[in-house]
Amino acid sequence: MGRLRPLVEKEVKDLLRDPRIYIGLIVPVIMFPIIGFAISMATSQATEAATRELTVIVIDEDGTESSGKFISLLSNVGLKVIDAGSKSLDEAVKSAEKSGSKALLVIRRGFEESLMRFGRVNIEVYSIMRSMGFESIGVQAAVGNVLGRASDVLSSTLISKIAPDVDPEVLRNPINVTEYTVVKGRIIHAPPGLIFGQIVMGYGVMIPVFLFVLAMSVAQIAATATAVENEEKTLETLLTFPVSRYDILLAKLLGSSVVAVIGGIIFAVGFMLYFQISLGGLGLNLEIGGPLAELPPPPPQSYVLLVASLILAILFMTSLGVVLGALSSDVRIAGSLQGVIVIPMMLPSLLIIYASVNSLPLPLQIVVYAMPTSYPMIMAREMIFTPMPMQVLYGILYSAALTLMVLYATSKILTPEKLLTLQHRIKLRRMKRRAGRDLE
Amino acid sequence: MADERIVEVEGLVKQFGGLTALNGVSFSVNQSEIFGLIGPNGAGKTTTLRILATLLLPTSGYVRILGYDVVKEASKIRELISYLAEDAGTYRNLTGYEYLSIVARIYFKSKRDVEEAVEEAVKVSGLGDRIMDKMKTYSKGMKRRIQIARALMTRPKLAILDEPTAGLDVFHAQHIRDIIKSHVSNGGSVILSSHNMLEVENLCTRLAFIHRGRIIMEGEPQEIKNLYGASNLEEAFLEVLKKWEGLGL
Repeated sequence: MGRLRPLVEKEVKDLLRDPRIYIGLIVPVIMFPIIGFAISMATSQATEAATRELTVIVIDEDGTESSGKFISLLSNVGLKVIDAGSKSLDEAVKSAEKSGSKALLVIRRGFEESLMRFGRVNIEVYSIMRSMGFESIGVQAAVGNVLGRASDVLSSTLISKIAPDVDPEVLRNPINVTEYTVVKGRIIHAPPGLIFGQIVMGYGVMIPVFLFVLAMSVAQIAATATAVENEEKTLETLLTFPVSRYDILLAKLLGSSVVAVIGGIIFAVGFMLYFQISLGGLGLNLEIGGPLAELPPPPPQSYVLLVASLILAILFMTSLGVVLGALSSDVRIAGSLQGVIVIPMMLPSLLIIYASVNSLPLPLQIVVYAMPTSYPMIMAREMIFTPMPMQVLYGILYSAALTLMVLYATSKILTPEKLLTLQHRIKLRRMKRRAGRDLE
Repeated sequence: MADERIVEVEGLVKQFGGLTALNGVSFSVNQSEIFGLIGPNGAGKTTTLRILATLLLPTSGYVRILGYDVVKEASKIRELISYLAEDAGTYRNLTGYEYLSIVARIYFKSKRDVEEAVEEAVKVSGLGDRIMDKMKTYSKGMKRRIQIARALMTRPKLAILDEPTAGLDVFHAQHIRDIIKSHVSNGGSVILSSHNMLEVENLCTRLAFIHRGRIIMEGEPQEIKNLYGASNLEEAFLEVLKKWEGLGL
């Protein structure tokens, strides 16, 4: 430990002060809230603009007292209605586009007749789309909302005519459903859709995304830290110090992990702020409490499994990063190798966010289970319902064995004898490829 | 004690694939000696020093440093040596002081030893207040000086210095030569490589000419000059080469 500590200190200080690293760490916490704020502003302003003055043009083909009353009703529930008079549909559309109206409503002939027969009446809505922004969706929603309210008023009037003593609302919705959800024997006062949504968002999306970013960061930081040693010609000196190759490797793993965890926390804060600001701007409730707070928490052993699988995943990715960095003569090459090797390796783990592993085709399942980074993600998904998922238990053993193998191979690579030979081979291959391209 | 063998190299061969970098190199370095390896580019100087520094493995032959085998007892050797690579870089984002302090903590256990070593190294580097600046702001000369200070502050029994004054101006090169001499006068031994014949002539107690992976001449500078009737080492080196290659210039 005596000699390891200064080595870890060197790694952490050198990494945290490297602009290639700290800019990457700081950016999410600044950019995510800015993006969230921009989205929130854009959507709220667009929605406000869409609903501020909702002008519609109406073609009344029926021309009866009932259709006239319906148009008055629309005005009463929030629309500014312009009568199209005797214009044809095409003329009315052009007029609506020119006048800045948000929609064109057509009341077809037979409106009153259908109403008197207690039959359905047809209203055609032509939404005028002027841009691809949120404003268009807002217009559609606002018109739909107004028509829904008008429909309610109409139905209440009709029901009152037939049965004056009956509450129209009761007749429309005779069954009053109160939904509860039972999770692991505990009754939660919320519908399953809401619980599922919160679990999926929290355990199924947010945590796996966080773990994915953490795994990517740790590999990238370790690769950069090691490639910098090659680029700045410091690795050769480091390897002559009276420390074992394992200490050097361990220092790289610990240093990179510490920096990556700091980065991961910053990312998580930025990500949460993004959701808070962007979705909060849309009026969505993001409180973690409420029904989710009623869920039985996973038992401690689930957290132990989560942490164990996470540590192994981090160690595995860091070792991989060290190997890539050691084989790269500079940071640029390390970045290219990471893009070619690490990102494709991580992609299967992303599938866990979208689907249960068991629902995937067998070849994809094998690929997902082959990556140690998959297990903390699976654990995060499953821990609410299955405290000790078997695939994670086996996965931890598999990950430990694989990580040990990678660590051993990495420590073997960390000798100038091997590094010089491997770097030389990689350089030769790149030169040959470049020469081949030039000839073409 | 003065004749104690610090380095023993016998029949050293190093091959990289089909390329033979060293082909039966043999020499020795004694206690309190500054031993110079001289030779043209690609002669095998750096490969030899890297093997001594336990960075590369010999293909055949044996190398012992202070009685320890470089292959089997590399970790013991690393406790006793320090190595300065020809193109050794620095950690850009650490200050010179932090770097020296980290290295000292690797070599020394007690806080007092660490402090003494760092204090000495700061003096040796001659960087003054700049020692507290990040090393990315250092000039080439400053980086070289901090590396020399780093290499010698650990009081190694053997300092392996690959082109220690390469790229330095006269003033700084002389400063480094003085540091090397001081290290030897304190009981250490040095093996170095250099292109600068004048430097080697003034600095080294013994030297070896290396060419195409073979030692073609070994001895004291004056002895070699006398042998070839040369006024300086450069002339002697060319004479040796002529003889070796059978060229009639």
